[in-house]
Amino acid sequence: MSTQPFDTPPYGVPRTAPPGVLRTDGEPLLELENVSRVYGEEIEVYALRDVSLRILPGEFMSIVGPSGSGKSTMLGLLGVLDLPTSGTIRVAGQDVSTLDDPTRSKLRGNSIGFVFQQFHLIPHLTALGNVETALLYRDIAPRDRRERAYHALDQLGLSARADHRPVQMSGGEQQRVALARAIVTDPLMILADEPTGALDSANAAHVLDIFRSLESAERAVVMVTHDPTVAGTARRKVSMRDGRIVADEQRVEATT
Amino acid sequence: MNQIGDLVGVAWSGLKARKIRTLLIMLGPIIGVAAMVSAVGLTESAKGALQAQLSQLGTNLVIAQAGGTFGSQNPTFPSNAVQRVENVSTVTGASATSNLSGVISIPIQGASGYYQAFPVPVRAADDELPSVLQVPLLDGRWLSTADTRLHLRSVVLGEGIAKQYGYLPGETRTIRLNNSNFGVVGVLGAVALDPELDNAAFVTQWAAKHVLGTNGRPNQLYIRAVPGSTQATANAIPTAISLGGTNQVSTQIPTDILQAAAQANKTLQQVALLAGLLALTVGGIGIANVMSISVIQRSAEIGIRRAVGHSRSKIGAQFLLESLFVGILGGIIGAILGVAVVYGVSAFAGWVVVIAYREIPIWMGLALLVSVSAGLYPSIKAARLEPLETLRLG
Ligand SMILES: Nc1ncnc2c1ncn2[C@@H]1O[C@H](COP(=O)(O)OP(=O)(O)O)[C@@H](O)[C@H]1O
Ligand SMILES: [Mg+2]
Repeated sequence: MSTQPFDTPPYGVPRTAPPGVLRTDGEPLLELENVSRVYGEEIEVYALRDVSLRILPGEFMSIVGPSGSGKSTMLGLLGVLDLPTSGTIRVAGQDVSTLDDPTRSKLRGNSIGFVFQQFHLIPHLTALGNVETALLYRDIAPRDRRERAYHALDQLGLSARADHRPVQMSGGEQQRVALARAIVTDPLMILADEPTGALDSANAAHVLDIFRSLESAERAVVMVTHDPTVAGTARRKVSMRDGRIVADEQRVEATT
Repeated sequence: MNQIGDLVGVAWSGLKARKIRTLLIMLGPIIGVAAMVSAVGLTESAKGALQAQLSQLGTNLVIAQAGGTFGSQNPTFPSNAVQRVENVSTVTGASATSNLSGVISIPIQGASGYYQAFPVPVRAADDELPSVLQVPLLDGRWLSTADTRLHLRSVVLGEGIAKQYGYLPGETRTIRLNNSNFGVVGVLGAVALDPELDNAAFVTQWAAKHVLGTNGRPNQLYIRAVPGSTQATANAIPTAISLGGTNQVSTQIPTDILQAAAQANKTLQQVALLAGLLALTVGGIGIANVMSISVIQRSAEIGIRRAVGHSRSKIGAQFLLESLFVGILGGIIGAILGVAVVYGVSAFAGWVVVIAYREIPIWMGLALLVSVSAGLYPSIKAARLEPLETLRLG
């Protein structure tokens, strides 16, 4: 393992790299070991309690559970946006608590794509500008950056919306822009927190189709959802309650 | 290198997205720099005009006034005061005049009542007065030795009095001084260094003594000194005139008043500079305030940027760069505005524009420093925001 784990496999690995290296090793992309996340100082709130979880490349995982069960907290930890109060989170075998902020940020930028329920686009930027945001500070020439961002929008059928601001777009379009932003870096892990929660059924179905198309041998997709039919499409379903994982089911029969 | 370009683009788009807010926080550096540039520019330009006037007038004129012994009504100098003064080695020329009190000057017969109530000062003067004052004659000639020799009753009018009397150039005009007719032979130009002379009528010392019946002794001397030794000359004159006698002499350098005016503007300049500094400080507080609020308003944006991989230091740099741009742009606009004010006012006041362009970068640098310092705290706050709390995942 290199000292720069995120510029070398498994993190930051280009998708053209020999596939299967991770899978044959059985090496997880990310590993939670007895992780707890406690909020508050005087009154402690356990958002996550002693959770262990491994996320493997190529996985399509749904996380379900009632409101307040710790799903979002878990997603934040998986995305290295947050650090555990206790326990260890390992990315490519390295404890993320030992990484400094620039390295953790680089890890997020290179290998993780987030999608949120409220889309979370930057309001003063166009669709293209929002997607480009994910490619900043990477020594990419502005022209190349624009091209890549435009390509990502085009892939999701949004090329006509490139110059539109968020307020000029429908919810479905905004969420697709957010998706384009998440995939433009070609990340190894896509984390989505109820991505269809704010959409009508037609738009939700469209967005789910996109998520399914994102499946690949190297990439893991983790999606928090309320919708049982959405959860049913995932190959692995993790159920949570009161900050604990109460079920971790693997769906055997593969439907296409 | 590209990363700096990215940072500039991000900061710039942030400012551009909120134009009114950006303009508002820019007002501090704009007003501050404009105030300082125009304060210095205006006072220097005004002083430039004063100095041009001073060098034209010559700063080497000394006026000596007879102070007399205590209680005496009409103090005078000895009649050979001019010779005594010319013994001072730094004196290059001197002229004596006498105020003739009690002489009534009447331009036309009918208006005697008015001119008795408001008498025109009449002065006896020697031949040298215009050359010592370095003032040309507007019309005709000055009093000459011929006037004395031939006992001519000639009078020269000051510029102001000539206007008041409605005297036309070349006109043959007789005026009455007490009960004698005097012929106007010339008009003296305006005397900037002693405007009192503009409202006087001048007669020869002979006429003062023999026609108007005064003692004719001088009580006011105009003295030119070697340039650079004006003050020393002024100091030497009282002794030179009194020669150990009882004559009281007070001297005055009229250009000192103008120079003091230029000096007084220095104080004005400092006050304006202080005001500019105050505007800058208040502007800085404004920047800190508005940027702090802005960081809270834009916390979602900050969270998004963190989620897509921008580090804490990049977020901090983004906001710091915004305040840096505010300082740079505000400074540039303020400097342009300040220069425009100096040009505008100078055109209006007829001054020659003097702008210390070399000082402008100092004021702009100061604005920049204030803006960046003001942006420091909000930037640190932005960098420290916890991304998860700002995004509140579903
Ligand atoms: N910043 C926070 N401060 C205090 N408590 C929090 C914070 N964030 C989440 N919690 C608590 O942690 C628990 C889990 O929250 P969350 O992960 O958002 O659940 P879910 O996404 O499943 O609805 C909840 O009880 C919530 O109130
Ligand atoms: Mg949630």
